[in-house]
Amino acid sequence: CTKQLTQIPDTSKVLSNFFTTESESEEYVNATYAALQSQGLYGQYQPCISEIPSDNTWDQVPANDNGWAGQLDLFSTIPSNGILSRNWQDAYVAIQRANVVLHRIDAITYQNDSIKTARVGAMEFIRALMYFNLVRTYGDVPLVTKETTDPNAYFGQGRTAAEEVYTQVIKDLQDAMVRLPLKADKAGGIRRSAAQALLGKVYLTRGRYQDAVAVLQDVVTSGQHSLMATTDKVFALNNENNAEIIFVVQYASGVNGATEGSALQQQFSPSGFESGAKGHNLPNLSLYRLYSSADTRKGIYVDTTKQGVPYCKKYVANPANLSDGGSDYVVLRYADVLLMLAEAHNELGNSAGALDNLNQVRKRAGLSNFENTSKQALDAEIALERQLELIGEGHRWFDLLRKGNAVQVMNDWFTAQSVNIRIDKHHLLMPVPQDQVNTDPAILQNEGY
Amino acid sequence: QNKVKGTVLDEKGAGMPGVTIAVISNADHKQFNTMSDGEGIFMLDPIEDNGVYDFIFTAVGYENDTVSRFKINQGDNNSLLVRMKVARKSLNDVIVVGYGTQSKARVTGAISQIRSADLNKYAGSSFGSQLAGKVAGVTINEASGMPGTDPQIVIRGVSTLTAGANPLIVVDGFPLSEGSSLNSINPQDIETMDILKDPSSAAIYGSRAANGVILITTRSAQKDKTTVSFDAYSGFQQRADKVKLVDGYQYALYSTEARDWGYVSKDPAKRKPDDDVATRKANGATARDYRLSYMDPYLANQPGLTNTNWLDAITRTAPINSYTLSVSGSAGAKSNYYLSANYFNQQGIVLNTGLKRYSMDIKVGSRPFSWLKTGLSLVPSYNQQRYFNNNADRSTDPISSALVMYPMFSPYNADGSLAISQQIKANTPEDGALMENPVAILKMNTYNRNFFRNFGNTFLEFHIADGLSFKTLLGGDFQSNYINYYSPSTVGAYRTAAPKPAVASETNGYVWNYISENTLTYDKRFGDHDINVLAGYSFQKENGNSTLVNGTNIPDDNLGNIAGASNFSVIKTAYTWAQISYFSRFQYAYKDKYLLTAAIRRDGSSRFGAQSKYGNFPSVTAGWILSNEAFLQKQSWLDLLKLRASWGKAGNNQIGSYGALALVNPDNYVYGGNLAPGYAAAAAPNANLGWESKQAINAGFDLGLFHVLTLSANFYRTITSDLLLNVPVPAQSGYISSLQNLGKVKNTGFEFELAGNNISLGKVKWSFNANLTTNRNTVLALAPGQTQILTGSNSVFLTKVGGPIAEMYGYDVTGIYKSQDQINSTPHMDGTVVGDYIMRDIDGDGKITTADRKGFGSYAPKLVYGFQNTFSYGNFELSIGLNGIVGRKIYDAALWSMESGESFGLANEYYYKNRWDPKDNPDGTLARPTTNLSANRLNARASNQFVYSGDYLRIRNIQLAYRFNLRSKFITGLRVYATANNPFTFTSYRGFNPDATTTDNVLTSGYAYSNYPVAKSYILGVNLTF
Repeated sequence: CTKQLTQIPDTSKVLSNFFTTESESEEYVNATYAALQSQGLYGQYQPCISEIPSDNTWDQVPANDNGWAGQLDLFSTIPSNGILSRNWQDAYVAIQRANVVLHRIDAITYQNDSIKTARVGAMEFIRALMYFNLVRTYGDVPLVTKETTDPNAYFGQGRTAAEEVYTQVIKDLQDAMVRLPLKADKAGGIRRSAAQALLGKVYLTRGRYQDAVAVLQDVVTSGQHSLMATTDKVFALNNENNAEIIFVVQYASGVNGATEGSALQQQFSPSGFESGAKGHNLPNLSLYRLYSSADTRKGIYVDTTKQGVPYCKKYVANPANLSDGGSDYVVLRYADVLLMLAEAHNELGNSAGALDNLNQVRKRAGLSNFENTSKQALDAEIALERQLELIGEGHRWFDLLRKGNAVQVMNDWFTAQSVNIRIDKHHLLMPVPQDQVNTDPAILQNEGY
Repeated sequence: QNKVKGTVLDEKGAGMPGVTIAVISNADHKQFNTMSDGEGIFMLDPIEDNGVYDFIFTAVGYENDTVSRFKINQGDNNSLLVRMKVARKSLNDVIVVGYGTQSKARVTGAISQIRSADLNKYAGSSFGSQLAGKVAGVTINEASGMPGTDPQIVIRGVSTLTAGANPLIVVDGFPLSEGSSLNSINPQDIETMDILKDPSSAAIYGSRAANGVILITTRSAQKDKTTVSFDAYSGFQQRADKVKLVDGYQYALYSTEARDWGYVSKDPAKRKPDDDVATRKANGATARDYRLSYMDPYLANQPGLTNTNWLDAITRTAPINSYTLSVSGSAGAKSNYYLSANYFNQQGIVLNTGLKRYSMDIKVGSRPFSWLKTGLSLVPSYNQQRYFNNNADRSTDPISSALVMYPMFSPYNADGSLAISQQIKANTPEDGALMENPVAILKMNTYNRNFFRNFGNTFLEFHIADGLSFKTLLGGDFQSNYINYYSPSTVGAYRTAAPKPAVASETNGYVWNYISENTLTYDKRFGDHDINVLAGYSFQKENGNSTLVNGTNIPDDNLGNIAGASNFSVIKTAYTWAQISYFSRFQYAYKDKYLLTAAIRRDGSSRFGAQSKYGNFPSVTAGWILSNEAFLQKQSWLDLLKLRASWGKAGNNQIGSYGALALVNPDNYVYGGNLAPGYAAAAAPNANLGWESKQAINAGFDLGLFHVLTLSANFYRTITSDLLLNVPVPAQSGYISSLQNLGKVKNTGFEFELAGNNISLGKVKWSFNANLTTNRNTVLALAPGQTQILTGSNSVFLTKVGGPIAEMYGYDVTGIYKSQDQINSTPHMDGTVVGDYIMRDIDGDGKITTADRKGFGSYAPKLVYGFQNTFSYGNFELSIGLNGIVGRKIYDAALWSMESGESFGLANEYYYKNRWDPKDNPDGTLARPTTNLSANRLNARASNQFVYSGDYLRIRNIQLAYRFNLRSKFITGLRVYATANNPFTFTSYRGFNPDATTTDNVLTSGYAYSNYPVAKSYILGVNLTF
């Protein structure tokens, strides 16, 4: 009878006898990718955090859903905001999964060693992506790079200086760049260009323009990527994982009982536009008006409802099940790389390099070449082109933070829009989620919250 | 023709009215009943010559008296004189103590007994709700009035944080798994319930006893007598809550104020309340900053407009019916049986909800040889439940959605069909509440649950030698569960107008539990020494299995279940737990004066980590019956005086079956549209996870006075250590929370029970039971380094060292700002506008920060009391029971929606009357209506503004019964009664249900939402015996 006291569940796997084979290792890798789909990350909240505060998008119904998205829009974010709480938690879930794989995969024999190496690179990429987002959103964040054996060990750890987090991000991406293959073994898997493009973005953020140019240029010369000929091909459902795509979080409709779809279209469509539409992250009318009539992105990337409310068309809902859309969420793509290259070249005084990259994107949108070589004019034009090309992809707020002009740009914009909001420096960081401060007082709150 | 004249006297020699006399013929065993009159006289006429009869005299509160083999002599003046003795009830009752019984006089722990007659004065589907107010130390929280929902039973306060708080329920010796439905037992089949409240009494149940143990004994045959009895009652139920919503005209004004101020408050310099839509648009207003377009006729007070009260629309006067037929008797001299069948049908006061139950109780006992006793008990039942998920989800919970339905819409169209998605369509332009018609949700969505259960046991008991017996028992419990959910495309959901994609799911599951138990008992008296020794071994195992199928892509509503779907996902869950137990008990009494009991149990459970499978649970109790000492024995006024003290340790294993294991859960990904199975750890492992143990001392006395009064008092202090805590951990660990054995909680309290038995008030006899319990709950320690746990909506529940579990915690609102100057001159939060809350600067630093929060009390009541009364006069009997609670707080999200002033949903009349608006209601005292809640208002969601007193005094039941004097040889007893359940509740609480709480998480106890209200009901019933 005594052996009855040891019961192993029939329908759940147990960590103590898991992660022993290549297929189980692969399952953990898949779950680490899957962590990116979660609501707190690219499933909904990451795009909210990195775009709603900016002048690109707004929350049409700020009071809805506890006012969380509305607070981001109106700069009235309070520490108990649920978007931030989930975002923080889900980011660390993804990081921990990557840590588990990185810790355990050494002991696993893969039939093909290059696949195993690629997995290590992919996990480093995901970990770096998460920390890069965290550090840009919250500033200092706790840095954990090992598998958790005792969750209590983290009480009292507190937040790690942003500098140190960046060091880890750069190291992970440099390592990943070496380990990742040129082409992924699975559709949409993480490959070398993803690490390069992300590292380029990190360098740009850190003001290391020379390094940024070098690593971004590697993406260009890799021969793996190109712009789609026309804008309607970039986000087309039947053209996913095309040559312009560098890294996406993938979704699919109607798979496994509608558990692999995205609710982004439903969340980010004007209220009443379709069933369940929440209107949480809509392009501003002011931005919509910046698309010239010649711009082929107008009507493809953004459009307006019959009532004249602009919305983003990059995410397509599934008409049979509106929260089960099949559109991938684009994290990195070639147009972004070209615009980052343009920005880096311009910062280094290389207007020719800047114009070349910028005009590739303009040309594809059906616009004439930009020819002004003044650094200031180019800077403004590149920033604008990023707004128009990357609308709805969660870049603008981080772009403003990177350029260091967020306070100025936003206050000017509020004035122009007759909106009675003014921001200051403390708004550049989000508050640390209150539940983290509550759990461990060693996690200190950001200034001003 | 011969007459029999009888006289029944009480102890003082006065004639006793209302005594039932059963007359049984010795020749043919036929029986008829009669009753004594006002002078205590009864006459039998005519009666058979030379017949031999047994007379059985029964009266409430008196010992039965029997006159056997009374021969009727022809021509004689046959007369009978009987002197009834007051039942020294408290002294002679037998108490069930677990694996045996004990006379009440010898009980040294804290055990309360309750009998079926007391339970069934409240009509309900389960004994849980019947217990309210009846027993000291037992609190019944009816968090939901939905038929078929179990109330929460709390014995002596909650002493755990994240493990289950359910007591162990043992029916006829079979321990049911904790938290399993109480609805499978027809309360009319219950003979007695014995509640083991202190760990020393309960310790014989070891690792499952920390929350107390309820021992249920079902009815069995009355000896040598065949009885057929039929009980039926029928009645109706109504809403008993005090929620009063504003009507359409009031809502129109409220909503307009809120939208105007929401718009203006964003930029008061530029925006004016009279701005039209075009101006508002030009000023950058969002949709919710416009007025609702269809309000004008209401604002103009145009008469005769649609004005629906949605709470009335979703509720009804609902019938409740119960029929029980039972037969008991003997089969030959060696066997007896009790069989009963019950049909119970309770419709809910919310449309389309209800419970139908078909149940039986089968009990057979036999003694084929003098050395062998055997028995069988079986309790099969089949429940059909119609319900909805009362979880505040606006798409599926109609009570919650009725609070956000505007009175401007009707449930039905002019042609009588259900009005679908009207509010959603009308509210889209101005972004009002996009709510589907809750009447349509109730009528069109299907939520059915069918539940079959059969449990019971069989035993053999061998009398090996004088006083020595061995019992082997085999018990089993089988439950099967089927749930069908379907929401057709033709009804919408929150923010989703119909047609929407239909949704279907189906659950099929079963639970199979069995126990094998062997006990050896030695019970013997040696001179002045009474000894009872018990040793036992038991093995119990449970296996549960459930499959949930979700169906999507449903092309039409033709089938209305998952068969109509074309895409499926399956969630399969299964669990097994096993427990091995060794237990022993030693009971000793010397001269019936000095009592000692010691017990120990050793339990091993599969639920715990490899390092801590086994736990030991000892207990010791002692008692001294002073009234049996020579110096007190002569005192005729003193029936009993007993002092008691005990210490014991019990455990809690309610942590789920695999709490100690780090489970790896699925989380899949797609590469290029192809599903790639993923798995990742959902929790960190903890091999040391072990028992939560509770140690308690109990001290008390029992006093019996003047043959009519008994008083019991207890003091207890329990300390729960190694609490099973699902503690929040820093998220950088990759986990949100982790299950650990940490922390300590203390509960202390007093219990008093005063009972009076057959006290004469003139011709009226009065019996009563008054009970009162205090409890104080203190957290002594949490995880190392952890000083507090903040949980729940808006982090309003604080559990910290030195405080109670789940204290409600937030800002201290002292009023509202009526001018900008007032804001500028006091500490305030950024963004505070006129009409917002004034918050007290508790730490005095001139700013309102998170440091300015304080505690406001918790859900756990400080005092619980009950008072049951029975008055009898002749054949009439009047019972009145009440129960009450003092010192409870409730954090109510439904009231929060009605009183926050956001106008998204309806306000209640209280808020409407007291809201502040400079124009419409300048004397108001509550925050100003606004659609644009400032940080002040959002933070105030955690404040005393939304922490409500949950104190109440409830008249639980009033019952008037009449017993007929019958001379029929066919019908031997007839009693009719009328009952009112919950007719009056005295409370200041404005929400749906003053018992409302989430029941699944102790750390958010008292979090209420639109909990299904408890009904009041009016019932007529009849008991017939043949």
